Amino acid sequence: MAETLFYLLGALALAFAVGVVRARMPLFSVLSLLGSFFCLSGIYLLLGFPFLAATQLLVYAGAIMVLFLFVIMLLNLGDEAQLERHAGLSLSGRRLFVGGTAAALLGIVGLAAAQMNTTFVAGEVPQGRALDDLPTLAGLLFTRYMLPFEAASLLLLATMVGVIVLAKRQRGTSAVEAEAEAPALPAPPLSSGAPR
Amino acid sequence: MNVPTDHVLALAAVLFALGVLGFLVRKNVIIVLASIELMLNAANLSFLAASRHWSQDALAATHQPSAGPIFAIFVILVAAAEAAVGLALVIALYRLKQTVALDGVAELKG
Repeated sequence: MAETLFYLLGALALAFAVGVVRARMPLFSVLSLLGSFFCLSGIYLLLGFPFLAATQLLVYAGAIMVLFLFVIMLLNLGDEAQLERHAGLSLSGRRLFVGGTAAALLGIVGLAAAQMNTTFVAGEVPQGRALDDLPTLAGLLFTRYMLPFEAASLLLLATMVGVIVLAKRQRGTSAVEAEAEAPALPAPPLSSGAPR
Repeated sequence: MNVPTDHVLALAAVLFALGVLGFLVRKNVIIVLASIELMLNAANLSFLAASRHWSQDALAATHQPSAGPIFAIFVILVAAAEAAVGLALVIALYRLKQTVALDGVAELKG
């Protein structure tokens, strides 16, 4: 049973990965990536890593994918007319397809979770523990891997600062744009709190 | 679960290869970033497969679990940072060029 689930999830992950590479539009590519992450999360569960499966869902499927979709929507890359042309499905049909796929994926991952539970009860894993048992993991992270952990926190801080600097509107261009957009106004109103 | 480690590693290898393919072939920056995420996930999968493969020995010898899950957590962290910086670059690029196609960005080509 678990073996069948593994091969099923693996095949699905591969199919979604092909979708990532082959999709014509970035929106479909990112949605395929989301499906692939779901399948990989199920595989992590089957391998005996429930914490990492949850992290995969929360961080990858939750945070990173939302970031991707947010940028696609922000840049208006998911053009509705193009969507109609490529999808070849009516709006309700598309909704049905997306809902069905999501439900099927959730069901499969849930099945994997149930499977993992019975496997542990049967005692196939030593001491009936997950391989990423959280207390042990945290202990390792704060003792032997303390330095990488601190380096990671620095990396995150640097990322935060870097992203703000990159995505912030530059001073020069914003002044030019403000003049171009509203030449008649003596003092264009500052809509955002960013210093100009 | 009695799936041999070889099969898990093979799955990871194919996923990684697909990521490389997308990274090299596609011109859309966002799809290229998605391919990078795919590659990082394949690396994670192989970490976990190896960790599962050697977990029995490691538990017996040192009474400590192997470091596979820790590396996987760090990979996820790096992936999150990479996605944030990459997408900020995409926004900056779009602001500059009004496009996300890599063909339009060839100023540094010698």
